[in-house]
Amino acid sequence: MWKDYDIVVDEMEGKLRPPTIGLKPYEAKVIPLTTGEDMIVREATREELVLILDTIEPLLHHQKDFYDIVSARIYAEVLGMLRYRVQDEYCFVGAVDGELAGIVNGRMVNGKVGMSYHTMTLKRGARVGAQLFAAKMEYHFDFMNQDEVWIVAESPNGFKRWMIEYELEPRFGCPHELGGVPTFVLTRKLWEKHRANKNVGTRPAFEDVVEANKVLRAPAKLSV
Amino acid sequence: MREVGIVGIGHTKFGKSAVPFLDMCCEAALEAMDDAGAKTGRRNVINQVFVGTMGAGMVNRISGAASAVVDTLNLRPAMAETVENGPASGASAVKLGYAAITSGLCDCALVIGGEAMREVSGWEGTDFVATMLHPEGEYRYGLTLPSFAGMFTRLCMEKYGLTSRDLAIVSAKNHANACLNPNAHIQAKVKLDRITDERYIAATNPLVADPLRQYDMCPVSDGAAALLLVARDKQEELGFGNQKFIRIAGIASATDTHYVADREVPTDLLAVRLSAQAAYRMAGVGPEDIDVAELHDAFQILEIEESEEAGLFPRGTGHLAAREGRTALGGDMPINTSGGLKAKGHPLGATGVSQIVELVKQLRGEAGERQVSGAKTALAVNFGGFGNNVVSTVLQAE
Amino acid sequence: MEQMYAYRCTKCGKLHHPRYIVCQNPDCDGREFVKEPLEGKCKLLTWTRVYNLPEGYMVPWLNFGIVEFENGVRASGQIGFDEGIESGMELVSTVGIVKEKVIKYKETVVEPQYGFIFQKP
Repeated sequence: MWKDYDIVVDEMEGKLRPPTIGLKPYEAKVIPLTTGEDMIVREATREELVLILDTIEPLLHHQKDFYDIVSARIYAEVLGMLRYRVQDEYCFVGAVDGELAGIVNGRMVNGKVGMSYHTMTLKRGARVGAQLFAAKMEYHFDFMNQDEVWIVAESPNGFKRWMIEYELEPRFGCPHELGGVPTFVLTRKLWEKHRANKNVGTRPAFEDVVEANKVLRAPAKLSV
Repeated sequence: MREVGIVGIGHTKFGKSAVPFLDMCCEAALEAMDDAGAKTGRRNVINQVFVGTMGAGMVNRISGAASAVVDTLNLRPAMAETVENGPASGASAVKLGYAAITSGLCDCALVIGGEAMREVSGWEGTDFVATMLHPEGEYRYGLTLPSFAGMFTRLCMEKYGLTSRDLAIVSAKNHANACLNPNAHIQAKVKLDRITDERYIAATNPLVADPLRQYDMCPVSDGAAALLLVARDKQEELGFGNQKFIRIAGIASATDTHYVADREVPTDLLAVRLSAQAAYRMAGVGPEDIDVAELHDAFQILEIEESEEAGLFPRGTGHLAAREGRTALGGDMPINTSGGLKAKGHPLGATGVSQIVELVKQLRGEAGERQVSGAKTALAVNFGGFGNNVVSTVLQAE
Repeated sequence: MEQMYAYRCTKCGKLHHPRYIVCQNPDCDGREFVKEPLEGKCKLLTWTRVYNLPEGYMVPWLNFGIVEFENGVRASGQIGFDEGIESGMELVSTVGIVKEKVIKYKETVVEPQYGFIFQKP
């Protein structure tokens, strides 16, 4: 269990924290899922970042579908956000009826280039991962006005859903932060081509859905 | 000809099975046997077992499923055969059970249908189902069953004015029915406007095989169902005298071209029409006598077109009947009271048997909240391949 | 360059595609066929765009269609373009790679598979 506490921001701490280009807020939206439920997609609050750490800890040893490496890396990335050691990282959650359904994160390298980190689905079988991935790409292109996002995949599911479905441009010379595996790029041109099929949701988010997801809890039963 | 009837039914909960393929088949089989009062070991009276399954060999790497089942259920030395007819394996197994009894080869047959498709990934499952297509002319292109359903839907839309909304109406109806069926794979109340609203249809009901959408196609399910068939002249003697005898009044199958492009009339389902007509003839009934029907709706377009080819509605009006609510539970021609393949689920080999389990419940008066009052005659249509091999069954209550 | 064929029954002359073992003319029982090239102008009878593809097709979607050639033979195949596909339109048949990699022998012989790809004339 990770405990959050206040830290004194002195000169030393100032030297250890990364600079920022200024992140714009991501406006929450509601996506109706194929199961008939409503999912809210919004930025994670600090409390929810802590909730994420606790929720994914058991998955650190779940080898099926590469949940082990994805949760290990998300743990490090979210901890990095909480401890102010990653530049311009964002983290969004998908939630249904107050339960965490999925997590996506990434960061801004600079004004023009984004580095996608991870997508994790906790509520399987409703295309939650696909919707959340599209939402974070929306953030990079439509909110932060970037030109391209660098993406890698750890699992075959990821490869099929992103590299193939978005027709990502291979750019193997570019070193992605996540371990030197082959980098693929979502350019603005590809985003414009595929967004109509991929990016959905209603804004402003329905009042009742916002209300139902004000305080989040871990899924009652984690079955991935 | 000897009369054959159903005295026992069994059905697992369709969805993601927690147990392996053979266990699932046995679970359904034992439920049917217990329902009828049939015993195992020395007191066994079953002398024939059929197991209908499309993928046990390819997907689960189990051949001779029927031989395995007969042994583990302690029914030896009963005769046992595994039956494969694509998604119509279940009804074909029933047809062979019927034929085995009427021919005098056996007096009591256990028919099981089962499929464990979720053992492999979605992409591998799609590929496996596509193997029933023409190898040189269709499978090699990456064509799939949904591809043909999409092309067929487009032709029906152009010819009959059927709309995407009509398909959604049928889907919502099937989902509502499944909420009353504890064995159904998907139990979700689906709101019609949610799956048709233009603003977010790309999220709630995305295109899968244009113009077919997510809610127009059945899920991938594991499951098994079973029936115990007995000859009327042996019912009492074999210990089933207290059971209701639901008679298989008519059963027939027909084939059509394997290469879908060569269908004589592209919007027709000739094999459905011929097999249904033959089953009606055998039963001495007509479509107007059918009180309730289970029609193979792997794609919602098929429920509509099969209802017409089976004579339940005039050609080109099935979608109008659905719009008017005539095929819903309260309507005058209820179709797929179980939730259909769409919401009950579609474990390929189990479906044909599962349809008959639902109809037996209806004819026994045991369908609970799904009961069609006064149901006496029922029709099941089990569709193999993309309509190139169809089995139709007519059942009658005493 | 791969070629697609129709098969003509030597007894009654009926054209077939794909290959059949017995002549499909209800009044003929021929079992011998002669190959002739199947290509050229054709009419699109129906089509679909499929997003859920089987294992091994590494593309976001594929377009498929059923066409009828001028000689009456019908065929299924992939459609090689995305914009403006309409039932009834005139197309022309080409032969191209329809699947990039097919395992021909265990893991050592992997070849592309050829078939009909229908294009705008």
